[in-house]
Amino acid sequence: MDSMDQVVDVFSDALNKSKFDRSKVSVVSDVYLSPEAVKNLGVDFFHTTRGSAIPFATGLKLGNLGLKVVVFIGDLLTIGGNHFLHSARGNMDLVVVCLNHFVYKKVGGKERQDFHFHLSPYTSYEEPFNIPHLAKSFGAVYVARWTLLHTRELANSISEAMQKKGFSVIEVISPGVNYFLENRSVDGVSDLLEYYYKNSEVKNEVDTKKVVIEPNKKIIVGRFVDRERETFIDSYNRQLMHVIGKKFREYK
Amino acid sequence: MQADPKDVFTGSYYIDGDVAAAYGAIAAGCKFLGGYPITPSTEAAEAFAKRAPEVGALFVQMEDELGSIAAVLGASCSGKKAMTITSGPGFSLMMENIGLGAAIEAPFVIINVQRGGPSTGIPTSTGQADLMQARWGSHGDYEVIALAPDSPQESFEFAIKAFNLAEKYRVPVMLMTDECVGHMTEKVVVPPASEIEIENRKYYRGPADAYLPFKRDENVVPPIAKPGDGYGLYMTGLAHDEKGYPIFNRDTSLSTTRALVDKIRLNADKIIEIEEDSLDDAEVVVISYGITSRVALKAVELARKDDIKVGALRLITVWPFPEKKIVELSKKVKGFVVPEINYGQIAFEVERCSHGNANMILVPHGGASVHIPEDIFGAIRQVAEDKKRYSAIVSYKTYLEKQVFG
Repeated sequence: MDSMDQVVDVFSDALNKSKFDRSKVSVVSDVYLSPEAVKNLGVDFFHTTRGSAIPFATGLKLGNLGLKVVVFIGDLLTIGGNHFLHSARGNMDLVVVCLNHFVYKKVGGKERQDFHFHLSPYTSYEEPFNIPHLAKSFGAVYVARWTLLHTRELANSISEAMQKKGFSVIEVISPGVNYFLENRSVDGVSDLLEYYYKNSEVKNEVDTKKVVIEPNKKIIVGRFVDRERETFIDSYNRQLMHVIGKKFREYK
Repeated sequence: MQADPKDVFTGSYYIDGDVAAAYGAIAAGCKFLGGYPITPSTEAAEAFAKRAPEVGALFVQMEDELGSIAAVLGASCSGKKAMTITSGPGFSLMMENIGLGAAIEAPFVIINVQRGGPSTGIPTSTGQADLMQARWGSHGDYEVIALAPDSPQESFEFAIKAFNLAEKYRVPVMLMTDECVGHMTEKVVVPPASEIEIENRKYYRGPADAYLPFKRDENVVPPIAKPGDGYGLYMTGLAHDEKGYPIFNRDTSLSTTRALVDKIRLNADKIIEIEEDSLDDAEVVVISYGITSRVALKAVELARKDDIKVGALRLITVWPFPEKKIVELSKKVKGFVVPEINYGQIAFEVERCSHGNANMILVPHGGASVHIPEDIFGAIRQVAEDKKRYSAIVSYKTYLEKQVFG
């Protein structure tokens, strides 16, 4: 089972919690996440190209403001990086669940060098992004990070993010089983999941500057940002009504 | 169905082709423009941005062309008529998601105001070198529709036509205008809404559990559904079955890929539009499109003064290509002359369809301006008088010799 399927299970719990009408929920993902599990969720699902999930979701949401659009993405800061920062800046009303598989993953430090990845067979030497800090500085209204084994907390966060209006980002620390992890045995995967979980420390509301993932240090998880900002379309309608006046037809 | 009067700016205007195209899109019911500004298409986006708030439409300046086209696909899937406006470099960036749009059969329009290429090329000047890219630019098999207006009036009219075709066939439709048409200011008459015919996508109305999003009717075009309406849509760029679920076997890839091709090829006769002038007794036929067709008019006039029996055929739809017509003509004429602002794109298509029955002279042009009518006239005379056989590539070499070596 891929970590994507597991996060979709958690998402299903979140949908139950938030009591959202599933027919009004659309899920958009980028290319390498094709969750079988989505078929049974009762939501509408759009499987887009590499890095395009966020702008596609932006169009989908702006095309029908009644939808609640949730993006599951792996390419958040690689091919889709530019879309991420602009969508956050504009405060598009989206929930972005980012699976961090540690493509840039100097995470384990010395004690975890047995975990090699296909594209870095000799262990990793690159610094990772601090996704929560980026999300906050780009303007996201809700930012959280959990490992995949924080199932209850993750479901809560997704549910909370779905209640919010604006751009929400939830980073999920998880092994990318199918594509990145060389040791695909069940032991290897669950071992890594366990490792992330045990090496994490919950610190809600902590300054996102301090949640950078570093070798030999705890992975800080929790809900880091929860604030209000006017969404793109509310801002558009308000501003244009102000400038144009009676001739303006509100965008619906 | 008639256009919504609120969307139609009825009246007579003195505007350029870019603005006219934006007015046409709005008249067609376009409610979403995702775009990133690029010369020489910017005036179209500006005009849309200016008028959109009056008609409940939205212009979003996206972060780049990849984002623009992705947002357009999203908005289209949500049920809005959506488009993007761009030129060569932006068009290149959009290619991957044009393929996604074709695969999930989202109706959308791209206005490509062509400029000189390749690469950054000549941003402020004209070109017609994106025609093959429009047809083949994204990887894999699919078909598109492309239209080539030759005036601001046609930019307005063809923008409406483009949306109608996109909605009817659920395909990407490219309005392949060019800098010359885009920046040319002429009289444009916007008729009353009652005179504008609008086509809207056909929605599925049956029960949700029986809905197969990619089950095709007799026109090979499946009815569509919107997210939020309880149909549990599953849309993917992967090869998919009738339900939309990814499945990788020979039959399914045949049914998805082939259907994308069939819905245009089997309906080509209904889609193709051409304009004919004196083809019945013509010995030489000038085939042109876009701005070049207006230059060709002068060349045809010169040739007729010289008593050459010359006809003209103008492509309104460049894709699908009017193969049947070219095959038919090739059997009775001496040859074709194809002037275009590139080094041979549609000329090779004409040559392919003439099956070696007729001569073929390409009159190429490198962009930055339009042809000199005398060049086209020279090619017409050559076909009329010469007994040698020409192919596009031979005629190109002849052209080079004349150009470079006197």
